[in-house]
Amino acid sequence: MHLRGGLSLYLRNGKVGVYDLSKDESSEQELEETATWESSSSVLIAKQLAEEHGADSLILGTGLLTYSFLPAAAAGLIRGPPDPDGRERIVPVLGFAGSELKLSGFDFVVVKGKAETPGYLWIRDGIIEFVRAPEMLETDSWKRIDRIRADQGDNEIQVMANGPWGDNRIPRSQLVIDYWGGEDKVGMGADFGAKGIAAIAVRGMGEFEVAEPEGHFEDAVLLMREHIQKLGKSEGLASYSAVAERDDFKKLVHRNVACYGCPFPCRSFVKIEEDPQELRLLVKEPGYLHFDIPALEKAFELGLDARTATSAMIVCAKAGAEPYTVLSMAGSSGKVTPEAIKALLADSSVAERLPPDGPPGNFERSFPDGEDYRRCTGLGLCSRYWAKVGFDMGTIGPFAEAVVGRRLP
Amino acid sequence: MKLRIDPLKCICCGLCENACSLNRDSVLTPMSSSIILHIDDKADYFGLVLKTRNEGIVLAKPEGVTTAQQASSSGGPGAKPILLREPCDLCGGKPKCVEACPVQCICAEG
Repeated sequence: MHLRGGLSLYLRNGKVGVYDLSKDESSEQELEETATWESSSSVLIAKQLAEEHGADSLILGTGLLTYSFLPAAAAGLIRGPPDPDGRERIVPVLGFAGSELKLSGFDFVVVKGKAETPGYLWIRDGIIEFVRAPEMLETDSWKRIDRIRADQGDNEIQVMANGPWGDNRIPRSQLVIDYWGGEDKVGMGADFGAKGIAAIAVRGMGEFEVAEPEGHFEDAVLLMREHIQKLGKSEGLASYSAVAERDDFKKLVHRNVACYGCPFPCRSFVKIEEDPQELRLLVKEPGYLHFDIPALEKAFELGLDARTATSAMIVCAKAGAEPYTVLSMAGSSGKVTPEAIKALLADSSVAERLPPDGPPGNFERSFPDGEDYRRCTGLGLCSRYWAKVGFDMGTIGPFAEAVVGRRLP
Repeated sequence: MKLRIDPLKCICCGLCENACSLNRDSVLTPMSSSIILHIDDKADYFGLVLKTRNEGIVLAKPEGVTTAQQASSSGGPGAKPILLREPCDLCGGKPKCVEACPVQCICAEG
């Protein structure tokens, strides 16, 4: 059990990893014990770490409840430097990457400085290492993920990968997390590019004690059952947005996929390179996992069918380019074809022609109030799921107290 | 009693792994569970691998459920292979993975 000041640190590693790319060295610091829900927020702790280590630092973090049994406790985050207007830039880290970051032995990781030679950060089992791999900049985001998993010999390593757009610091770049885009709507790929980071990979064999394991499990399962009864049958992305209710989209859906701990997934995998009903593992890259609602809405608004929209999402993800932006630019030029989109992605002068406004938020717009989004993500919970079932600290508080073993006001 | 898995109901949430470890060691971790996810995420191919006392390894793949004495794949050498894990003890008659599974992918029968 991790102890700080006589208090047990349940569901925490108690450690912040710090990697200085300029000096090529890692260090650790203790995670301070927190006394309130507000001060436990990973959004707030990430901000404090940025103030301590420099505003240009990247902070990876996990919530107090990340990897608990509370439904959809999948969220980690990446915090980058604020935008030119001083607004906070946060990427929610979902799928299994948020929970895997916690299992890697660190609650937070600070990345500062700039690498002399580009490569990827490899975080696992309490170790942070920078692997030089300048040749990675010649490849797309999907090949980077494949390469890291092959080099490290584990197909379940979670990878936050940059692509050529981010390498070139194009402000509307997008990180992909395990091949898929949709979380990064703030151009975090450009921040990776500025530091010479081609990708960040995480894996771990951590384990966590909770104050009342049986109570936490039983109560969380009961809550999940209540949610399921209220939500009804899951239709994947179509359960969260009408954009996925189109017939041509539904015909291509293979399976719906959850993030860690989510009983009502918002991710629908669409197959375009083989029969969507095919169950065997035949084609290595059969399609795309859709959960980027604004990008899909934009594709359909521009007249693309579901197959072409999926194809466009794939090329954007490989390039590390934010698809709403790319589709908007193609639409403005009057050429929304796969060829025109590929040409746009390869255009070295594209940064000069970007639309002035960034894309609409994806998970950010789950709640009408941005503060609820930050509060929910900061606890380690998926904002999309909790906005659907009702985010209420009055409900969550007692469950969380069974995890941490004390009352947090 | 034995566990029956319907892999096409699986949504890949990972709660079964965590619930299994909780029962075994009273901690949250995927590392000590007798049931693990097998995922090829780029191909959207996923299912479950279960180590049992009587049937060996149960491979619940999307195309069907088979049993074997050795798993051909268990998440790669970076993870703890299924063969090194303890077999399922059915949590003494009230399997936690069944309780935790939100989609009735795992059921207890017999």
